[in-house]
Amino acid sequence: MSPMPGSNRVEQLAQAVAERVVSIVMDAIDIDALLERVDVDALVSRVDVDGVVSRVDVDGLIDRVDVEKIIDRVDVEKIIDRVDMKKIVDRIDIDAIVEQTELGTIIARSTSGVASEVLDVVRAQGVGLDDFFSRWANRVLRRSPESIPLGPPMLVAPTATPELTTGIG
Amino acid sequence: MPTETAVQPIEGRQGHYAGAVSRLVAFAADVGASWGLFTLGAAALDFSVQLVTGGQFSLTKHQLASLIALVIWEFVYFAYQWALSGKTIGMAVLGIRVVRADGSPIGWRQAVVRTVTLPLSFLVFGLGFLGILTNRNRYAWHDRLAGTAVVYSWDARAARLRWLARQESSPTR
Repeated sequence: MSPMPGSNRVEQLAQAVAERVVSIVMDAIDIDALLERVDVDALVSRVDVDGVVSRVDVDGLIDRVDVEKIIDRVDVEKIIDRVDMKKIVDRIDIDAIVEQTELGTIIARSTSGVASEVLDVVRAQGVGLDDFFSRWANRVLRRSPESIPLGPPMLVAPTATPELTTGIG
Repeated sequence: MPTETAVQPIEGRQGHYAGAVSRLVAFAADVGASWGLFTLGAAALDFSVQLVTGGQFSLTKHQLASLIALVIWEFVYFAYQWALSGKTIGMAVLGIRVVRADGSPIGWRQAVVRTVTLPLSFLVFGLGFLGILTNRNRYAWHDRLAGTAVVYSWDARAARLRWLARQESSPTR
């Protein structure tokens, strides 16, 4: 029972009036214009983002992610195509790897023939002398080493920079 | 002393124009190898003729025949090896090879022309070889005429790794 007679009908009437008024007001308001007047930056600056983030259960989120499914959707071939392998290989310090690992011993064991050692010596000396005479010829002819092609076009890229001796030091 | 300090391999030279010293040392090695093989062949021929006929025979006593045989042998020695692999025995030792001017493998025509025109570079005190030093592409005369070039073919990087490996595994270090 209602404490006052007829109060139920008044409430219903008030509810109906309120719904009607809200509907009319909402129709009359230009939401876009209203949003334009809202200073979003000011609003965001009042939000405690750290607080929000600290309340997020990241581990729980990660547990819910199906990593296998994501990997399945990744086109690995496409990614590899976009990777400049030459650049990566160039950045690897093979000398350091050989010096610091057992790889050096393996290479030495597999290729340490006396003949190959002698060949390396003869060839390296030959190239060294080639460079020596080439440098003198360039000085006498007053030409820049950079202006001379390194090799035939099919064997040497035109953009390659000349490499002089890189003695072991 | 071992050769440790002597070896200073140079990286990244594969496909680069070979220099004068490597080329001339390779040529000298080839002259030695071809003469040695010719001498062995001539001795084998002398022995075979003596065995068959029973009489004395020596190719070197027949100067004209010996000269013709030597010229043919030298032609075969160089042309055959260049056409087959782009390198002679001496070139293989020095790690260089002959290619066409654009870098593609040499063919029979280039090999034959290069062999025939090689003596031209010896004319006027070897003036034809001076191009190896003065020409931008290190062409000798016979290279120009045959449309060929000489490049390094040895893997200097592998040689450097071998050298490093020897240093690393050496007990004295």
